[in-house]
Amino acid sequence: MASTAFENLKESLRKPATPEAMKEAAEAFRKYQRAELAKNRGSRPTLVSLGHNKTYPHAIPLDEIPGELEKNPEFFKLMKRIATKEK
Amino acid sequence: MPTVLALADFDLPTRSGSGFLLRYIVPRVEPVQLYSILVRRTPFRLCAPQSDIIIGVGHGDKAAFYGHNEAVILELDHYNPREVNGKVIKLLSCQCGVSLGPDLIRNGAEAFLGYVDDYVWVCDADLALRPWADTMAASSLLPVVDGLNTLLDGKTAKEALDTELEGYTRNAAIEEDELIRACLEFNRDNAVLLGNSTARVRGRPKITLPIPPPPILVPISKS
Repeated sequence: MASTAFENLKESLRKPATPEAMKEAAEAFRKYQRAELAKNRGSRPTLVSLGHNKTYPHAIPLDEIPGELEKNPEFFKLMKRIATKEK
Repeated sequence: MPTVLALADFDLPTRSGSGFLLRYIVPRVEPVQLYSILVRRTPFRLCAPQSDIIIGVGHGDKAAFYGHNEAVILELDHYNPREVNGKVIKLLSCQCGVSLGPDLIRNGAEAFLGYVDDYVWVCDADLALRPWADTMAASSLLPVVDGLNTLLDGKTAKEALDTELEGYTRNAAIEEDELIRACLEFNRDNAVLLGNSTARVRGRPKITLPIPPPPILVPISKS
């Protein structure tokens, strides 16, 4: 069952990738991170992907995801696809 | 017929993905022909025609699959059909199922297993020297290993895909971290099988315990 923090993150990612929505998603991710993320499971958890020529890095430490969400619409859309399953 | 394994290993995602195959797939197949700096176009072009299965880990996009330092390995309309004819091809990479996969099938590949969107997972960057010990990455990468082992047992491409999808579903059901669970479901939803779903390759001997010791890896360069 999804937590409130993750549900809030999903809701913020459902909005169009405007600067305001991206900032809101970044804040929602910070709250989610504080509440849930990687509980004692890894010392440096990092989101990685095998994409080529993307505008976002191949490897993003989880604590840097909010910053990337705020500044990069393409990463915002990737996170939207991952979290909400919406294309 | 040898197995062609093209395992890129130059950054964290390729190290993590290739690490699991090094630990769990390499011991049961013929020696790895293409690992790290050898994952380049010319060695691949020479090895590929002799194999019945091509397994690749590397970065990708809709039209191409890349090896070491993003050297092009397979690109839409830029390879000899002999390299793929009659083969089962599995690419752990992003988006290759969109255009490259269908092109491989049109050029004679028997079956293609890949993904139609980014392949994403959470790994522990501190475990880059022994990536197979990463439990966070394992939840996403062990289903890939299980699917490949199904293929190497001599079962069909459809059975291999089903094994992988079941792995994602099983791991997602017990995963507490919602981001990791979302990644598992995302990868599961984007996995595709193109071509002949009943395609099979020659069965390889199963690993007998004890598994040989893991390889020694060097740190990832910062370039």
